[in-house]
Amino acid sequence: MWDAIVVGGGLAGWIAGIRAAQRGKKVLLVTEGVGTLFYFSGIFDYGDVEGLRHLPKHPYTLFDSQAILQGQHFVQEICPEYVVSDQPQTAFTVLGSVRQGDLMPRSMVLPNRQAQGRFVLLVPEGLKDFFPEIVAANMTREFPGWQVSVKKMQVEALAEWTRLGKSVSSIDYAAIWRSEAGQRALAQEIEGIKRQYQEAGKSSSQVVVVLPSLVRGYFDSSRTKPFRNEFSLPVMEMSSFVPSPHGRYFAEYLKHTFTDLGGELMIGARAVSINGEATVEGQAKTCQELIVHSMGKSLRLKGKKFILATGGLLGGGIKVSMARKSITEGVFDLPLYVPNEWSGPKFFAPQPFTQAGVETDEFQRPLDPTSGQVVWDNVHVVGRMLAHWDPWTQRCGGGVSLTSGYVAAELI
Amino acid sequence: MDSRDELAARLDACQKCSVCTAQCPVAKVNPHFIGPKGLGPDMERFRMGQIIQGETTLDDCSNCKTCELTCPSGVKITEMILNARRAARQAPNSNPLSLKLRLRGYVLGRAEYLGKLGVIWPSLTNQVLKIKLVRVALDRALSISESGPLPAYAKPLKLQGDKGEKLGASARKQVVYFPGCYTRYNEADTGRIMIKVLEHLGYKTIVPNFHCCGLPLEANGQFEQAHKNGLYNLELMRPYLEAGLPIITSCTSCGLTMKEDYPKLQTTSAQLIGTQTYDLFEFLWQLYEKGELPLDFQEVKASYGYHPPCHLKAQGIGTPALRILGLIPGVKIRNLDAGCCGLSGSYGFKAEKYDKAMKIGSTLFEAINVGAGRGDFQGMTTECGVCKVQIQHGTGLLTEHPVCILAKAYGLIN
Repeated sequence: MWDAIVVGGGLAGWIAGIRAAQRGKKVLLVTEGVGTLFYFSGIFDYGDVEGLRHLPKHPYTLFDSQAILQGQHFVQEICPEYVVSDQPQTAFTVLGSVRQGDLMPRSMVLPNRQAQGRFVLLVPEGLKDFFPEIVAANMTREFPGWQVSVKKMQVEALAEWTRLGKSVSSIDYAAIWRSEAGQRALAQEIEGIKRQYQEAGKSSSQVVVVLPSLVRGYFDSSRTKPFRNEFSLPVMEMSSFVPSPHGRYFAEYLKHTFTDLGGELMIGARAVSINGEATVEGQAKTCQELIVHSMGKSLRLKGKKFILATGGLLGGGIKVSMARKSITEGVFDLPLYVPNEWSGPKFFAPQPFTQAGVETDEFQRPLDPTSGQVVWDNVHVVGRMLAHWDPWTQRCGGGVSLTSGYVAAELI
Repeated sequence: MDSRDELAARLDACQKCSVCTAQCPVAKVNPHFIGPKGLGPDMERFRMGQIIQGETTLDDCSNCKTCELTCPSGVKITEMILNARRAARQAPNSNPLSLKLRLRGYVLGRAEYLGKLGVIWPSLTNQVLKIKLVRVALDRALSISESGPLPAYAKPLKLQGDKGEKLGASARKQVVYFPGCYTRYNEADTGRIMIKVLEHLGYKTIVPNFHCCGLPLEANGQFEQAHKNGLYNLELMRPYLEAGLPIITSCTSCGLTMKEDYPKLQTTSAQLIGTQTYDLFEFLWQLYEKGELPLDFQEVKASYGYHPPCHLKAQGIGTPALRILGLIPGVKIRNLDAGCCGLSGSYGFKAEKYDKAMKIGSTLFEAINVGAGRGDFQGMTTECGVCKVQIQHGTGLLTEHPVCILAKAYGLIN
């Protein structure tokens, strides 16, 4: 018997699992694959929290502002590279333009735009989908007081890739930077840049090296050597194209944090249904067990509490059939809120379908949208599965997922 | 088949997100390998148009199944690649492998025959395999890497028939043990310890004369023989399956084959094998949940790093060994989960793949060396025999099957 079974290994699921395990609970996290965290930029967006709290059914109305702040501090606690700040921070996108974010690794935070300095964009050979000219042009436009130059570098370990003319993904480069040899190569290259400035008689004090996908933030000192910050110039990193190294290593980091706290991961298993009944006639049902398809057989997993973190349309938690004949939640078969209009004509305008999901009470327990009654007493819904929000136009994806996962774990 | 499976079975489920290739241990170290997305769903479109790649291209996949576990859309990538290899072998105009590589496939695929030969005089075999010249000769003649950690042979596991005893519910508690070639010929001690543990639990273990499960044959392109082995083993299991006996394995790759491939075979017992096959610790956990697992543990003061084998993960049962070992007072375990060890059955024994296999395993080796160096743990534990061989080869740290720790707790071994 588990204290809690978390269904889904995305951001909200991991946060719920880690927090519950940290509170001494016996937690099992069941996931079919690695989820959509591989598309994560490294930056959490919270959006206009106060404004969104005025929307009648937005998930933010389920939490008090204290809980939202606690969720942020929890991220800082488990991954100290994230520093909670009351000032909005900015970072470079993969195209060199500037975007705002609410919680990001220290190594991504941009310096003051009004100041003056030099960016050296360090471009590893053959980096896939990376266009240094466009990036440098955008950086120059965004930072008018700064000089931008491009420096290319080669890595010995990837010589064969270069010879074949094969591009290297940013995830592969991130792996190189995390190795002993890679760190050494990078340190040498940066030392070279510094010397170049010094030899030209220029000061190197305002030089900042910009590197795609260093992913310094997610080093796991319990398993591998901690990142040694031995560069002779300050290094900043930008976000990357998907599949993103930030996402990959953050997912890995969350997994290790979870299992080190005693949580168990069951990957490659698909949750298909649940069993449970009402203890009192007419009251909400209590879920007793989760049925999971493992290879060859079904497993019956018994738990006290269940957290549904299977994601929305993108993550596969909500299934839409051809011509929208059916729109369903696949594990608990929960009633969904589905907007009358599915989509609007303007692609970038708020789209109604993004609001589809499960409506809940203040304890994130699923509600029947017609009767308003709680359906399951011991089930909490977190993350993208919640109804009435839109991560794309409201820019609050990280905020809702983090907060809902954290708060649900407190209820276990 | 439900709608999700149908969708996944179809090629169109692949959204080209490349997450599988980003996670592929082979693509990371081999620039000539186009990765699971390329070799699986991308090239599948060409294969549908009867454009068949040569076996050597397909052969780079180590069959670890990380891509299938990773795919956010449930695409059966490894299965696609294996089917393509099958097609490449049968294609009329295919460019055949050199005789040397075919011969190697024949040898490495037959871990079973090698085992039968090796255990005739294990100490002699082991001595011979230690001779540098022999390894150089194997490398030249068969492209079996002279540096690869070929496992040693030992006194084989004894078979145990059912002696005509009554099978099934009314009979005394029985299980069928599928030891797998590695346990049977290379490390029968693990098998004997497991039988002792089951005996302690009140179970009689039946060990029929099984053939190799077929996985190494498949991995080395011997598809027909793999199919034959599957049918043979299922026929041997039939009376036990029909009597409702659990089939237990201590090898995660045999377990995966029996759960994933055997149910697809065209024979009646194929319908039972999936639900009745258990990884040893999966079985023990089930007993624990029913309150039938004796908890008379002695304290075991020891700490281990744990490596979850790829083929355990692919079974989708979590890490039951950690659950059971967590019940033993004194035992401390850290789940490293630092990726594939690289050996992948016989992949790392191949001359052109040895270095790559070692590179694949380097993340795991580093995690082990750092953890052990800091005193987090003294030894390693993992269910898979060849992972164990590779870990010992890559780090020098003593590695044992988790059942050995359990046997110590029951006081069955020292």
